[in-house]
Amino acid sequence: MPKLSKGIKKNKGTRKTVTAQPSEIKIKINGRWHNFVPERDITPNMTLSYLLREKLGYTGLKVSCDEGACGACTVIMDGKAILSCMMLAVEANGHEITTIEGLKKDDPVVEAFAQQCEPGYGTALQCGICTPGFVMSTRALLNDNPIPTMAEVKEALSGHICRCGCYAAIAQAVTHASEKIAKKGE
Amino acid sequence: MKQPYKPRSDRKFVGGYRPRIDAWEKASGKVEYVDDITLLSRFPGMLYAKVMRSPHAHARIRKIDVSKAQQLPGVVAVMTYKDPEFASLRATNAGWTDGVDTVTYDRMMWRQFRDRRVLGDYACWVTDEVGAVVAAESEEIADQAIRLIDVEWEVLPFVLDPIEAMKPGAPLVHPEITQNNVLPKEKVGGDDVFLNKGDVDAGFAEAEVVVDGTSTHHNATQASLDNWCCLVNWTDEKLTLYSNSYEADQSRMHISQMLDLPLHKVNVISSYVGGQFGRGDTGEQPFFLFTAVLSKKTGRPVKFRHTRRESFHDSRQPAIYYGKVGAKKDGTITSLYFKSIGNTGAYADHSIFALKFAPMEIAEASFAHIPNVKLESYGVYTNKLPACMMRGVGNSQFNLIFGHVIDLLAEKLDMDPLDLCIKNFGHEWETLPDKSLVEVLKQGSEKIGWREKRHKPGQGQVYGKVKKRGVGFSIHPAWHAEWQETRRGHIPVSITLNPDGTVILDAPTVETGTGSNTCNVLGCAEALSFLGVTPERIHWNHVVNTETSMKDCVQTDSSVSYLQSEVLAVAAKEVRKEILKRAEPLLNAKSGELDIIDGRIFVRNNPDQGLSVKELLFQGDLVPIVVTTSRVPNAEKTGVPYFANFAEVEVDTDTGKVDVLHLVVINDCGTVMFASGAEAQQVGGQVTGMGEALTEEIIYDEATGVPLNFNWIDYKIPTMADMPDVDPILLEIWKGAGEYGACGIGEGTLTCTPRAIMNAIYNAIGVRINDIPIKPEKVLRALGKV
Repeated sequence: MPKLSKGIKKNKGTRKTVTAQPSEIKIKINGRWHNFVPERDITPNMTLSYLLREKLGYTGLKVSCDEGACGACTVIMDGKAILSCMMLAVEANGHEITTIEGLKKDDPVVEAFAQQCEPGYGTALQCGICTPGFVMSTRALLNDNPIPTMAEVKEALSGHICRCGCYAAIAQAVTHASEKIAKKGE
Repeated sequence: MKQPYKPRSDRKFVGGYRPRIDAWEKASGKVEYVDDITLLSRFPGMLYAKVMRSPHAHARIRKIDVSKAQQLPGVVAVMTYKDPEFASLRATNAGWTDGVDTVTYDRMMWRQFRDRRVLGDYACWVTDEVGAVVAAESEEIADQAIRLIDVEWEVLPFVLDPIEAMKPGAPLVHPEITQNNVLPKEKVGGDDVFLNKGDVDAGFAEAEVVVDGTSTHHNATQASLDNWCCLVNWTDEKLTLYSNSYEADQSRMHISQMLDLPLHKVNVISSYVGGQFGRGDTGEQPFFLFTAVLSKKTGRPVKFRHTRRESFHDSRQPAIYYGKVGAKKDGTITSLYFKSIGNTGAYADHSIFALKFAPMEIAEASFAHIPNVKLESYGVYTNKLPACMMRGVGNSQFNLIFGHVIDLLAEKLDMDPLDLCIKNFGHEWETLPDKSLVEVLKQGSEKIGWREKRHKPGQGQVYGKVKKRGVGFSIHPAWHAEWQETRRGHIPVSITLNPDGTVILDAPTVETGTGSNTCNVLGCAEALSFLGVTPERIHWNHVVNTETSMKDCVQTDSSVSYLQSEVLAVAAKEVRKEILKRAEPLLNAKSGELDIIDGRIFVRNNPDQGLSVKELLFQGDLVPIVVTTSRVPNAEKTGVPYFANFAEVEVDTDTGKVDVLHLVVINDCGTVMFASGAEAQQVGGQVTGMGEALTEEIIYDEATGVPLNFNWIDYKIPTMADMPDVDPILLEIWKGAGEYGACGIGEGTLTCTPRAIMNAIYNAIGVRINDIPIKPEKVLRALGKV
């Protein structure tokens, strides 16, 4: 197994986030800074999704494909939706991560996904395993673009797979979430 | 604004548009799946298991040396097929039951095809689990240990194509079972010719028009996002299994019988599952057993989970069908003949179920009025991955040829295929025309614009110089009515009415996403409507635990949506009886003189004399009213309803790309139990249906048998950007037995999708392509452009 320093040297210059060998790795997760000791807590090849799920117990994000093809592991980093299975934990050093556990209880996106049931579309979730990923991408989209067009919604969410096939209802839920946000004046 | 469906009768809760009962927990990420529940932090000392996989399509282990693996730090146990724990295990099958009932080893459905070892020395497809298993402190170490195992393989010749496999001299996959790779006759499926009604040859001779054709269904995969996962903790006291199998009771039976443990020493716990879609057929996954053996050996809890790539080990059975149909000039079908060759893959599992059992049900439900029908089928072993159930069991494959010959015949007769279907197809217990079929076709054709949009094949308007549009449809009988479910035996439910009027509902089933949990809460509220109970005041227990739960009703046949509600209707009457009995002394009246409306008990002749149920239950001992009851599904033969899919496509004749513009899904449900959930199934099923029709296919390297696209980058599942508008239509025309007389719809929503799209493509370009998925190169080849 390569040592952390070796991995960092390799990345030097290409990854802005890992410019020097850190003596500790600091990641802000759901509003709270966590300090990690390299090697002990975070190995060089550890993915962010592994750290969040297996080490810290944030199981809202799911690891399904583990290769960036399904979107189930989506979390928000510095306001943008990212695939946590495609990012090394060390790359999150100094950054702010929000997992679905970090959303408020009455988050309008969560509410809109949960309430979706109008005739003609079905519910926005069935088995529910892809849902947290969709919710986080929607949250990031609406943060940036509070009133997206349907084409923008489809573009933003087309990196996610829902095998139960709730896409039409998910798109409706995004629209409803957008309306809720406008109403709340967030 | 889309329109709601029109219910046949007014009901308070059943049939409503509303959120799922688990919607908030799922949307907020609070629901825990087995991989979430089995974290190391919750099971201190937990080890991770890995199994060796065959690099060859067909091979036997000559020698195995695990010494290097054993020496790797962090490895706790390495076991091989030679260890007595594995060598002593009986040969098995991964399809003991179709999930409808629980069965023992002796009564497994396919007892003639016990072709699997839990851990053996013989591999029948690339990535087959074989030879050795490892338990280590981390998955990485376990993986590394597997790579350190030295194996000397006896590499055997292999065969991937079922037609090649049937030829004399072909490599034999399971010589102990068959000497020509064809699965031999057995009790459930019957002979090769498994239905021979009337005289098909005479029927064809009598016909004025005869057409025939073929269709090919390739290997698609269920693709549940919840990869296979289990944790076993086998202590001196008992064996506990956490898994995402959808059959808790059957998994318990399987483990008990295979590992020789009494049932009360096996505890199977299942909670939410992230999608099932028929994967693995049933609850007899061999990996439960090797994980268990590792747990016993190490004395620690052991977790085994597939990577996404490994979870590609289940698929829909590929099948090649030939179909022939003869008719009079007026469209009366005189003879029908279908023959299939199914690519069973490396292990038989439920193969025959897809090839023989499912078509028999279709014949019963649709061909009852056709005098001459012959069905013939061959399940053939090859060195591809084993295949069977996937949202249906052989239905999609059969529909691909069925909808094809109908379209061919209608064209030759110059008849509208809708009229041809109505003229000929209906179930055994009704005269033609079938009311359900008539309405399904009427609604679907109106919604898609059948009369306006359909044109002579290839003769429609051209858009943007190169694009052509067309419409198509296909029909299928449902297969989830109550009388088809009697093999389940007693279905237990329990209602606990708390003193404050809230309810605990025990209607055990492993929730795989189908929404049956919401159906049952609505069914419970409906049945208890005399108490004024709302769904919000009913708690449904989502954990199935074989120590504390009653037997689970398995999510197979899409029928849990109504089966438990039928029992709840009976249980609610018992609750009412018990309330009235308890009220007798307080109201100085006999039960027969009392009534309950909206939670108030009163004397019928003197309505002012009464009290609320809460007032009643808050007196005395505060013991809740508990009614536990069970009921065997009603065997009355009521036939089945129909469903259909209509499609409109646009084909780019320059690039060969097919765009689906519109899909309409029509299901006669008998009774809609939960409208939003039913529509979710209808709309959602199209993702898999359209995927199978256009993009989804497991591709093998023909030279080595290596599957090439066990990942979601090269195995294309439609995303939100790919899906067209889908219109779901719910109907209540047919009615079965019982309070609701409903019928499951979930699996069938996608059965007709590929054929509807294929017929639409033919309507668009005037050339038939009968081999799915229809990728651009096939279109261009059909158009003579490559």
